[in-house]
Amino acid sequence: MERTFQKVEEILKKHEYKKENLIRILLDVQKQYRYLPEDVINYIGVALQLPPAKIYGVGTFYAQFSLKPKGKYTILLCDGTACHMEGSISLLKAIEEELNIKPGEVTKDLVFSVDQVGCLGACALAPAMVINEEVYGNLTPEKVKEIIKKLKEGEKDAQ
Amino acid sequence: MKVFVNDREIELKNGSRNLLEALREAGIEIPNLCYLSETSIYGACRMCLVEIDGKEIVTSCTTKPREGMRIKTNTPQIHELRRGILELLLATHNRDCTTCERNGSCKLQKYAEDFGIRNVRFAQIKKNTKTDRSAPIIRDNSKCILCGDCVRVCEEVQGIGVIDFAYRGFSTQVTPVFETELSKTECVYCGQCVAHCPTAALTFRSDLDRLYQALSSGKTVIGMIAPAVRVAVQEDLSMDSDATMAERLVAFLKMSGFSKVFDVAFAADLVAYEEAHELYERVVNNEKLPLLTSCCPAWVKYVEQFYPKYVENLSTVKSPQQALGTIVKKIYAKKIGINPEDIVLVSFMPCTAKKFEAERQEHLGMVDLVLTTKELSQMIKASGINIKQLTPEPFDKPFGISSQGGLNFGKTGGVFATVVEVIRDEMGIENEEYHDLQPGVKSAVLTLKDGRVLKGLVVFGLANARDIMKKVMEKVLDTNIIEVMACNYGCIGGGGQPYPNDSKVRQTRARILKETASIKAINSPVENYYLQKLYQEEFKDQHTRHMIHTEYKPRKRIESEDIEILPLPKEDKTTVKVCLGTSCYMKGSYRVLSQLVESVKKDSLGDEIEVVGTFCLENCDKSPNVMVNDKLISEATLEKVEEVLKECQITKTESQS
Repeated sequence: MERTFQKVEEILKKHEYKKENLIRILLDVQKQYRYLPEDVINYIGVALQLPPAKIYGVGTFYAQFSLKPKGKYTILLCDGTACHMEGSISLLKAIEEELNIKPGEVTKDLVFSVDQVGCLGACALAPAMVINEEVYGNLTPEKVKEIIKKLKEGEKDAQ
Repeated sequence: MKVFVNDREIELKNGSRNLLEALREAGIEIPNLCYLSETSIYGACRMCLVEIDGKEIVTSCTTKPREGMRIKTNTPQIHELRRGILELLLATHNRDCTTCERNGSCKLQKYAEDFGIRNVRFAQIKKNTKTDRSAPIIRDNSKCILCGDCVRVCEEVQGIGVIDFAYRGFSTQVTPVFETELSKTECVYCGQCVAHCPTAALTFRSDLDRLYQALSSGKTVIGMIAPAVRVAVQEDLSMDSDATMAERLVAFLKMSGFSKVFDVAFAADLVAYEEAHELYERVVNNEKLPLLTSCCPAWVKYVEQFYPKYVENLSTVKSPQQALGTIVKKIYAKKIGINPEDIVLVSFMPCTAKKFEAERQEHLGMVDLVLTTKELSQMIKASGINIKQLTPEPFDKPFGISSQGGLNFGKTGGVFATVVEVIRDEMGIENEEYHDLQPGVKSAVLTLKDGRVLKGLVVFGLANARDIMKKVMEKVLDTNIIEVMACNYGCIGGGGQPYPNDSKVRQTRARILKETASIKAINSPVENYYLQKLYQEEFKDQHTRHMIHTEYKPRKRIESEDIEILPLPKEDKTTVKVCLGTSCYMKGSYRVLSQLVESVKKDSLGDEIEVVGTFCLENCDKSPNVMVNDKLISEATLEKVEEVLKECQITKTESQS
C-alpha cells in the first residue's frame, strides 16, 4: 500500500496534533488504512511526542482497533445465537474454502479479511454477514461463494 | 492529627500523602503491591484495604487521613480479602519459586508466607508469555502481577515510557511497543523497573557463570569495586553497615581467586581531575556548554537518543569504570608484563546499565565482565564465608586509594563536588553558593579567583533531566555544567542493588557512603599521590591522555524497518531515504518528503527513483537528513536532494558509456 504520510499528516492536523485526541486520531487512521500500521504508530509517537508503547497500549485495548491489516473487503460473519442456529458455521466453511483464510486472517493480496462477530443485530435475516457496511441476509453457502466470486471479479476488472 | 488506629489513639504527622504513608510513619506497614512513594498512586492491587469508621473498606493508598478517623487495619474481614487477592494473583503466577531470581526477596512470596497461603482455591492458569533476554534487563511476564510499578517509574521518574500496558482483561501485559525486544527500544537499561518490581517479572542478566569460568581459565583475574557497592552489599547478607566493608570485600575476592582488586573510586578521582580541566577549558573558550557529565551510562544513552544536538556537550572523559578499565589494560598490563588478553577485568557495580556500557563498541576489550551488587552478594552467600569475620585487606596499588570526593561519586552530587574540589585546588574559588531547587535538582554558583563565575546543576532522575534540558534548549537556563545521574539519589539507587531499593533505603546508603568517605584523609584528587604519579609518568601530554577520552554519537531509538513510500521493484535504481525521526521531523523533513514525492511522481527528477522513509539516520544534530543511495545530505532541502540526484545521474551515464 502506498503511504506518503500525507493522510496521516492531514489526520494529525485535523486533530491539532493534540495528545488528548489520540483515540480520534487512531480511529481516523484505522478508517484510512483499515488497521494501525506499525510505522504509522511510530510516526504518530514522533509527531505527538508520546512514547510509542502508550499508543500501542491504546491500540490493543479497544477491540475497534486492529494491529493486523484488514482486507479491502472486511467480511464480518455473524455467529450470534440466531445465525448460529441457522447454520452460520457452514457459511464460515464456504468462506474458508473460497478464500483460504480463517477468522482473524487476511488474504495475501490484502483484498479479503474475515472475522466472526457476536451479533450484527440482523437476526431476522439470519444467517447474515456484513461486507464493508453492506448487509447480506438469508445466506446459504452457495450464496456466500457467489458474493465473494463477484467481488473477486470486480477486483480483476478494476485492475 | 489525632486518629484511632485499631482502637488506640495515635498522633499522625500532618501533610502525609495518604493513609498508607501516614500509618507507615506510625509503625504500621499496610500490605501493598502496587504502591510506590516515588510515583503517582495507582490503587490497583487492593492489598492495602483498611476499614474506616466501622463502615466502609477502602484502599489506604487513595485515602487521605482526617482528624478523628477510626481506622482498622487488620480485621478478620480484611485478612480474608487480602488472602483472596493473594490467591487470585497466585492462580495466574508462575510459581517456580526455588529457581526464581527473586527467591527470598519477592514481595508476593513474602505475603504468601505472611498470610500463610498453603493452597490456592483457584485452578492454576498459565499465561501465554515469552521471556525477553535480549538486553541486560530481562522481562518475564509469567511473573508479572500487573502492579504497573515499572510502567510508572519508567514514564514518571525516568521520563521515557519504554513499557506500558497493552491488551485488555486477562490478556493484559506490560510490554514495549509491538512487543519489540527491549534491546531494540529506547530503554536506557537504568534498571529502575527492576529496582521497583515486587516480583521477578523484571530482573537483570546474571553473569556469575562467566566469572566462575574466568576464575578457572588460568587467566589473571583482576577486580574493581565501585563506591556504591560497599554501602549496599550488607543488606543482602543480613549485616550491619561497616566502614571497612570495601576492604572486607577485597579480602573475600582475593580468597576467591582474584589476583588484584582495585578501587573504582581511584578512577573517579582521575575522571574528576580530567573533567575539571575539560570544564575550565570549555568555559574559557566558551564552547560546548553546558558540559554534561558522562559517568552515568543510562544518561549517556538518553542524551544520544533524545538530545542528539547535545551529544557533543557530553564530557569526553570516560566513566570511572571505563577509565580504570583502560589504564589497567593499556598501562598496568604492560607494567606487570602480562598480555592484556590474559587478563580478565571484572567490575562490581550497583548498576545494570554498566553491563551495557562495557559492551558498547567503543569500550570493548577494556572491562570484561560487569557484576552487580546482587551478583556479588550471591557469590558471598554461596561461598559460606562470613565476611564479618574476615580481616579487612587494603585495595591494591597503584589504583587503590581515593579522595573523599572519589568515593562520593556513588551518590548524587559526587561528580560535581569532586570537580569543584579540583577547581578549588588548581584555579581557586572565592565564593560558593548552593541551593535546592526541587527534589532531585540542586544548583551551585562558584566565583573563581580569576573572577569567572561558574554555574552548575546537580540532577537525578531522567524526568528531572528532561525538564532541565528543555530549559537549556529554550535558553531560559544558564549553566556551565550539569551532573546527571539517571537513578534517584545516584548510583546507590542503581538497578543492580539489593531489593528493597526505595527512597528510604537509598537515603540510608547515602548516609553510610558519606560516613565511609569522611574518614578518608584526602579531600581532593589533587592530593591523590598515585593519581598525580600517573599524570607525571603516563599522561604527560594530551596525546597520551587521549586514551581515557571517548566520543559519542546520536543513536536511533526506534529499530524499525524502512517504510516504502514510493517503492520501485527494480535492481538498478536510486534510493532516496528521508528521515522521519523526531529531530528531522521537527526540522521539517515531512515537507521535504512531500515535495520529493510530488517531483518523483511528475518524473521531474528522472525515472528509477525509489522513495523510502526511515526513523533515524543518527545524524540528528544536522537535521533534516536525506540519504541518496549511500550519500548523506545534512540540513536537506529539495534543491540539495535534486543536485545530488543530478550528480548520480551523471556518474551513472558516464559509467554506462
